[in-house]
Amino acid sequence: MFELMVSPMSFILFLTLYFVGAIGSLWVKNNNTLANIWSSAFSIAGSLWGLGLSLVIILTGQTLSFVAQQTSFSLLSLSFDVDLLSAFFVFLISLIGLFCSIYGIGYVKHYYGQYSIGVLGFYYHLFILGLLLVVTAGSGIFFLIGWEIMSVASYFLIVYDRKERENVQAGFLYLVMTYAGTACILVAFLLLYQFTGSFDFDVIRDSLALIPASTKNIIFILALVGFGVKAGIVPLHIWLPAAHPAAPSHISAFLSGVMIKAGIFMMIRLFMDLLQPVPVWWGLTILLIGAASSLLGVLYALTEHDLKRLLAYHSIENIGIILLGLGSALIFASLDLLPLSLLSLTAALFHTLNHAIFKSLLFLCAGSVIQQVHTRNMEEYGGLIKMMPQTALFFLIGSAAISALPPFNGFFSEWLTFQSLFQGIVLLDSSVRWVFILAAGALAFTGGLALACFVKAFGVTFLARPRSAEAACAKESSWSLLVGMGSLAALSFLLGIFSGHAVFVLQNIGRSFRLFQGVPTTIAVFGNQTISIGKEFASVSGLAFLGVLASVCIGVLFAVRWTIYRQQKVQLGSTWDCGVDLNARMEITATGFARSIVLIFKGLLKPSVQQKIEYDDGAIRYAPKLKAVILGTQDVYQTYLYQPMCRVTNALSARVKNIQSGNVNIYISYILVALIITLLFIL
Amino acid sequence: MNHALIQFFVAVVFGTMIFSHLTKKNFGASMAYGVQSLAVAALLFGSFLETQNKLILIVVICALIVKVVMAPLFFSRLIRKHALMFSASTYLNTPLTLIAIAILTFIAHSQKFAAVTGIVPANQALLSLALAAMFLSLFLIVNRKGALSHIIGILSLENSIVVFTIFAGLEQSPALQLGILFNIFIWLMIAQVFISMLYKHFGSLNITSMQSLKG
Repeated sequence: MFELMVSPMSFILFLTLYFVGAIGSLWVKNNNTLANIWSSAFSIAGSLWGLGLSLVIILTGQTLSFVAQQTSFSLLSLSFDVDLLSAFFVFLISLIGLFCSIYGIGYVKHYYGQYSIGVLGFYYHLFILGLLLVVTAGSGIFFLIGWEIMSVASYFLIVYDRKERENVQAGFLYLVMTYAGTACILVAFLLLYQFTGSFDFDVIRDSLALIPASTKNIIFILALVGFGVKAGIVPLHIWLPAAHPAAPSHISAFLSGVMIKAGIFMMIRLFMDLLQPVPVWWGLTILLIGAASSLLGVLYALTEHDLKRLLAYHSIENIGIILLGLGSALIFASLDLLPLSLLSLTAALFHTLNHAIFKSLLFLCAGSVIQQVHTRNMEEYGGLIKMMPQTALFFLIGSAAISALPPFNGFFSEWLTFQSLFQGIVLLDSSVRWVFILAAGALAFTGGLALACFVKAFGVTFLARPRSAEAACAKESSWSLLVGMGSLAALSFLLGIFSGHAVFVLQNIGRSFRLFQGVPTTIAVFGNQTISIGKEFASVSGLAFLGVLASVCIGVLFAVRWTIYRQQKVQLGSTWDCGVDLNARMEITATGFARSIVLIFKGLLKPSVQQKIEYDDGAIRYAPKLKAVILGTQDVYQTYLYQPMCRVTNALSARVKNIQSGNVNIYISYILVALIITLLFIL
Repeated sequence: MNHALIQFFVAVVFGTMIFSHLTKKNFGASMAYGVQSLAVAALLFGSFLETQNKLILIVVICALIVKVVMAPLFFSRLIRKHALMFSASTYLNTPLTLIAIAILTFIAHSQKFAAVTGIVPANQALLSLALAAMFLSLFLIVNRKGALSHIIGILSLENSIVVFTIFAGLEQSPALQLGILFNIFIWLMIAQVFISMLYKHFGSLNITSMQSLKG
């Protein structure tokens, strides 16, 4: 049975489901209902197949490697290599794909009559297909084909709601950044080919000794930039807060939960697998980028009052946390501390999984809210817990998970990341130790700020009173949306409680790397879900947390009921309001909540405050009728990095334009001269 | 085929290139292209005699029809239709043109290009001449202002490449050569329409008059 499941035929059928889903959606695009059914059915079937296939590979350790077809182009072989790492990412894609597809059944209905559902289904399937090719390709060229399919399809998904000019601009920015990154990746692969003579990953791994150290460093930088753009690391992230909110919400969930992980996947594949051994500075660079991304991501999230942009900035933060794990793993591997490297890699993989789950959950919840309130501006929400109680509960679970609160999954992966950083602080010498201290500090700050940010997001969205007519009339989401969100919320909880099992499996994935063959482990997992690091260095248990939390909650509940309500008459009345009518303008806003924290980091965020005052009598200007404060932040990356780059590029382009005379003879002479010079140079 | 005859045909290809540079009449340039194509067809016929591959014979016949008959006819028709008796002026005068031709021929024959022209050492001289013909074709496009000369330059470049591949042993399959000939045929049809439209719009085929195309 397992042999049949893990076979080339099974894998090709798995991919075919998405291909048929894509073509079929386009075929029935004139009938929105049929297109929705077709698209959802095939994506759900594909996801279930992918889940089964990847779980069998992960749990049995049986890998799948085959060449689908030898092409006439010798450099392109359609080879698949589904090892445990690939299977883990196939699992991730299928898992999130499953719940996003279920959610999409109900969600896309509000596009009926506006846009074609068939076209959405076509690009959605193509996008997943591209992602699957990226994580399973066995050669560089084939990988790039998958990467291209993924990028182009995701662009069309981002600009799907093309009536909004903002969305089209976001798509354009995404496309520019993606191709800048792809150019770097292409050069990195060409350099690998130059020295190894192959694009095949296995050949590259075996011929690594042929690559000079300086070239390896160039490849690292190019790959870091190329994959960093896709992952959204600071300062290459500028496309992410614009593009993710632009897409339909279940696509946003997929982009944020899964697509950016394609960059992480390739970083792990290249740096931990293909290019090992690596110098220490590679790990230090990634660690510092991770620290900067996590801290700056959460700070920018705090300043946002657009719910989806806020979540997008949190993706940058969480990518930073994953990079903290990966950076530590690389440093430990360079220093030959392989058990600790395995611990850090496990932490990175666990956070990759957890982030995919809780970020998708949060985006889906945001989608449900936006569908009801028709705006992404949190200042116009409020009081939605009464109208959308289940959505509020799921958002609360997602918020707790992303804020690393136990017993949800986010806590355990961040805890593991902390442990790997603490190990570095304890064991390494002074110069490297300070980087670990800095990284641990950044992670601690990030955790606190993320909590503050989600107190704001949840409070302003769901608590108090509605601040707009739409919010007051909101209704609970339909069954498919609730199933999608509820399943992810349950997973967030279960992965926290059973984090011991998850860590055990993820550690095995890490151990499948050639680097970790026969390496002893520092993580011990016990039957009661206790995860123990080193010899009594630290330990944590999901079940124990659940037990303590449940006992405390029940204890407090009973204590409160017993002490407060005992022999007292409860009278219901209106809240004391100092003699004035309570209204929505008296509530704290998202901007007001974040203001104090933003001002602490004003050197970094460069906030700008505009005050708008209207008086009852403009001549006297004594009694203000309306007073508003608009708090904005300057995008320092745009101002100090991208705008100067654009200016330099434009100036250079203006100069280069001089050679564009419009005369065909001149152009042909360029060709003739270039041909002769090239021939003279290469011969 | 006799080696002296082969050398003669390659010399014809090269000579017609120089003639195209020097002639002041468009009709002369188009006839030179016809003669050049005839020489190329003769070289291909030599390949047929060696290999007895009937497909190559079809290629030769097609080449004769498209390049030797149709292309010059097409040029003549354009010359008559638009009264393009004299070729458009050149950027360099005749002495400077000859100097440039000499330099390009020298470069093609230099030791630096031995790696290219020495692919088949026995044919090095012929390959050098074919490479020089390639450079001269490009130079024809660069130096001439008339659109007709550009077309002849591009077609001559294709002839030079065919000659080069024959002697370098890089000759492609007859099917591919037939495809290229078909491509040239279609290209000639499109160019005829396109050039007529350009003439109608600009009243000239001097490319300097087409500057307004620049965005």
